[in-house]
Amino acid sequence: MAFMYVTFTSLLVGGLMGLLQTFVRSGKYTLPFGIDYYTILTVHGVILGLVMTTFFIIGFQFSLMGKTVGLTDKQRKAAWWSFWIMLAGTIMASVMVLTGQASVLYTFYAPLRAHPVFYFGLALVIIGSWIAVFINFRQLYLWRKANKGQKSPLLAYMVTINMIMWVIASLGVAVSVLVLFIPWSLGYTATINVLLSRTLFWYFGHPLVYFWLLPAYMAWYAIIPKIIGGKILSDSLARLAFILLLLFSIPVGFHHQLTEPGIDATWKFIQVVLTFMVVIPTLMTAFSIFATFEATGRKKGYTTLFGWFRKLPWKDVRFLAPFIGMVAFIPGGAGGIINASHQMNALIHNTIWVTGHFHLTAAMTSVLTFFGITYWLVPHLTGRRLTPRLNKLGIIQSLTWTVGMLIMSTAMHIQGLLGGPRRSNFSEYAGGAQVDTWISYQMAQESADRFSSLPSS
Amino acid sequence: MKNKNPKPQHTKSNESTIHFKGTFIAVMLLGVIMVASWFGVYALFLSR
Repeated sequence: MAFMYVTFTSLLVGGLMGLLQTFVRSGKYTLPFGIDYYTILTVHGVILGLVMTTFFIIGFQFSLMGKTVGLTDKQRKAAWWSFWIMLAGTIMASVMVLTGQASVLYTFYAPLRAHPVFYFGLALVIIGSWIAVFINFRQLYLWRKANKGQKSPLLAYMVTINMIMWVIASLGVAVSVLVLFIPWSLGYTATINVLLSRTLFWYFGHPLVYFWLLPAYMAWYAIIPKIIGGKILSDSLARLAFILLLLFSIPVGFHHQLTEPGIDATWKFIQVVLTFMVVIPTLMTAFSIFATFEATGRKKGYTTLFGWFRKLPWKDVRFLAPFIGMVAFIPGGAGGIINASHQMNALIHNTIWVTGHFHLTAAMTSVLTFFGITYWLVPHLTGRRLTPRLNKLGIIQSLTWTVGMLIMSTAMHIQGLLGGPRRSNFSEYAGGAQVDTWISYQMAQESADRFSSLPSS
Repeated sequence: MKNKNPKPQHTKSNESTIHFKGTFIAVMLLGVIMVASWFGVYALFLSR
């Protein structure tokens, strides 16, 4: 539960910052007390992209591992260490961001320089997460020792794959923080290798989005079938999809750097191919989910082509929220293929299209699934019950989130295709004609954010 | 007679008798959406 408290406090703060940003970008509002736009943008990105997700995922994975392969008292103690170290790191980084000493956005690109404490905080979050990794590995190891010759439980297998991916990916951010950013921010080195720091960030940053996605896949493959009263189509297919995602994630970050000079075109090509390969486990997952739905519905007696669809438990928020997440992943995934295509990347690079894509995939696909998970995980952890009234409230929350995010991300996609920039404060850009085409979409984002963020928080 | 073989027998799963026509169409639709959106933005790229 401790991980969940941090998760949802982060959601409240991060959601509020998102709302403030859309106010500022619509040109109707100026931040009080001299607070900088880029400070709140950094808070939004760091606290939602890095803090909320990591805390949620590690907490969720601990509970899955505890349930499937067991958690010893010694491991539980170590898990608390992991939590406190991550929290200490989060507080250090957050204080620096909130006091305006680390307005470097969540990508912390050099040459933007933050206070050294920000980088130490990030390093602690990574170290804390590694403790969780080794506890999860140890949990599975002990289970396998006690159950020789048996196949490891599916969810424990999935958690392990996700954590292997996390370790490999986070090495990149650990190296960049320890070797490049900390010495530079302390003044021990006069310059920093910008290209290398960005490359190491994206070596981490793209597998990071798979690290958010795989827990959603865990729920889709292994938990949703139970909620709808069916069973997983194929255990082996699920395991293969996870293995493929792991293999295709090392390394895969160059598609974020397609416009970057200094990276050989061949390597860009190889990593673009690896990005495209992710279509395979993704479509395998889509196939498995549809097949689970269809098999469950047909067993209940629905014989028409899509009749089984009606039989799904639409009034159960534990199903509805993840289902909307799945649907959002259709345009989200399609947009990802566009982003990773070199020529089309030129069309959308650094535009707010990318932010729209990100809000479809992270804020809808992953986060709505996380909401759905929370609606059964929290009652399970606390020994309480999701009452029909709370279920109804959950449905309202999921739907307001959906409507808001849909309007916002659609507006962002369109504005991006019209050339609207991302990561930028309100500006009239010296009255350029192109700018006039953006403002209505900016307004749409503002009202959508007002609609969705706060009720959900 | 009791089966003495300790290995679990693979029984034919119920799924094999179920038609997955809806699943097939749904997954094909996903493919169409992906290709159509890609070509949509590609057309925009060519036109600029």
